[in-house]
Amino acid sequence: MPPREGIYCLMAEFNTPTELVQATEAAYRAGYRRMECYTPYPVEEAAEALNFHSTRVPLLTLLGGLMGFTTSFLMETWINVWAYPLNIAGRPLWSWPAFIIPAYEWTILFAGLSAAFGMIALNGLPQTYHPVFNAPNFRNGATTDKFFLCLEAVDPKFSLTESRSFLEQFPAVSVVEVDH
Amino acid sequence: MSSGHSHHEEAGHHDAGHHHHGPKTLPLSLDAPEIVKAWGTRSLIVCAIFGLVSLAFVAVPGGQAHLLRAYLLGFMISFSFAGGGLALLMLQYVSGGKWGLLLRRPLEAMTRTLPIVTLLFLPIAIGMKSLYQWARFDTQALRDAAVKSGDMTREQAMTAALKHAMFSPTSWLIQAIIIFIILNLLMFILNRWSVERDADPLAGTQASYDRWRIKFENLSGPGIFVYVVLLTMAALDWVMSLDVTWYSSIWGLKFLVGQGYIVLALGILSVILLSKYEPMKTLLRTTEQHDLGKFAFAFVMLNIYLTFAEFLIIWSGNVPDEIPWYLARIHGGWWTICSLDFICHWLIPFCMLLSRNLKREKKRLAGIAIFMIFARFVDMFWLIEPNFKDAAGNLHLANNFGILAYLTVPVSVVALWSFFYCRALLQRPLVNVNDPHLEEILEPEHAH
Repeated sequence: MPPREGIYCLMAEFNTPTELVQATEAAYRAGYRRMECYTPYPVEEAAEALNFHSTRVPLLTLLGGLMGFTTSFLMETWINVWAYPLNIAGRPLWSWPAFIIPAYEWTILFAGLSAAFGMIALNGLPQTYHPVFNAPNFRNGATTDKFFLCLEAVDPKFSLTESRSFLEQFPAVSVVEVDH
Repeated sequence: MSSGHSHHEEAGHHDAGHHHHGPKTLPLSLDAPEIVKAWGTRSLIVCAIFGLVSLAFVAVPGGQAHLLRAYLLGFMISFSFAGGGLALLMLQYVSGGKWGLLLRRPLEAMTRTLPIVTLLFLPIAIGMKSLYQWARFDTQALRDAAVKSGDMTREQAMTAALKHAMFSPTSWLIQAIIIFIILNLLMFILNRWSVERDADPLAGTQASYDRWRIKFENLSGPGIFVYVVLLTMAALDWVMSLDVTWYSSIWGLKFLVGQGYIVLALGILSVILLSKYEPMKTLLRTTEQHDLGKFAFAFVMLNIYLTFAEFLIIWSGNVPDEIPWYLARIHGGWWTICSLDFICHWLIPFCMLLSRNLKREKKRLAGIAIFMIFARFVDMFWLIEPNFKDAAGNLHLANNFGILAYLTVPVSVVALWSFFYCRALLQRPLVNVNDPHLEEILEPEHAH
């Protein structure tokens, strides 16, 4: 893929999460959709302002959990009934109560792994390059004490002049162009 | 401060002009809404109707015996609300947190029904001899005669003799008196301090916050320990001893978790129903509602964990002393109730509470809370009824219509309890104002 050129987004920097959320809500009302918030810690209301409600992580977690349970339960059934049958205190070979605990552990393990790796995959990670890091103030503030709103250039409503004046009506510390 | 970016910050700008993002104001009246009175009246009507229907069982074969057993179920549920409410009240004092402030007054209202629950215990104390085999055959001579006539097995007679120090009418009554005196005392002090805390002339200052926090912590910490000991005693005395031969060391803890389960369900239900009206409308945020849902989910998990662990250990041991307890609860039709218990008590609440959206939606969360309360009735039925000789491993309706008393009597008793709960809710403002968390729950949800 040839390197992309031109402007990636307009980035506004805020000092507080409240300002960020207000600006994001206004941008959503104004019709912007391709936008993103960057915060040093999770701000759930920013996700709400972006109208970003559900991800597929819960579904992946559930599927992982069910897969873990089934795998473990079937494996134990196979081992105890066919592969290596043992008479334990005269109990039936298929003594399912004893299978529950390992099946439960496998449920947790698979669900946990699916959640973690599913989240990473759905985030598009690992990613070695992202244009926002071209902005010096982003590099310095995004992981410490600043809150950023990016209006991406691919949004049909994006216009260099109008989007800039739109962002400047908020108490932003700065509004900068970010190149690809 | 990081360097390299431009500063043209407009000082003082960021709080102006955005009213919907500012902190909410506390409503003028913090009293419970008038509607609670109507809820109380409705409870009383339900209590009367179900009570009258229950009277019919006096004439039904096996009815009288079942009336008292069903009453024990209703009493145990009412006791769960009052005693469990006390435990959770003390827990939120030691743990802190905004959920605690939100539930505090409803929990206090639950505990203030303890004197009524104490009175509700009287029929059980009076009917002791028809409920508990060990009380019926209290002396060695009586036990020997009972073994001869077949009313008692040899094992039951010997175990009853062995456990006589705990399970004899006098000792049992003394234990009940100790339990109720201490619980009522704890309830009285905690409720009184809560009012004094609001009336503190220094209210709203850090000194006052700290003073009350430490005071409550110092009582609640040891209080929780005392409660767990007393509850274990109560669970052994009132339910486990129905089958004098059985024992399980997790029994008390299982009741404790069951109480957490039902008290949280009622707490969630109360705040959601109250949130249609002020002041709860202002106080209940989605964040805390979500937290309470997660908390309830933890109890659903812990409950099945203990119940299944108890079963698995006994199943693995496969000892003739313990196994019959389960056989009586699985064989002879009881597997239906056993499965129903598993489905209602764990499977359905677990699957539902997994959902984030459900926990954040008032109506559906309230529905689950009601269902969880119902599930406790099913569980308690499964624990109580198979203890009796006529029902052990033999769930039947033919010639045994008295068993239907379990459908009416507990509802009547719990409805009566809920009348007193509503009355207690009306006695006080719905929120404790002299608490630093109050400011936090009035903030908009995204302020960090």
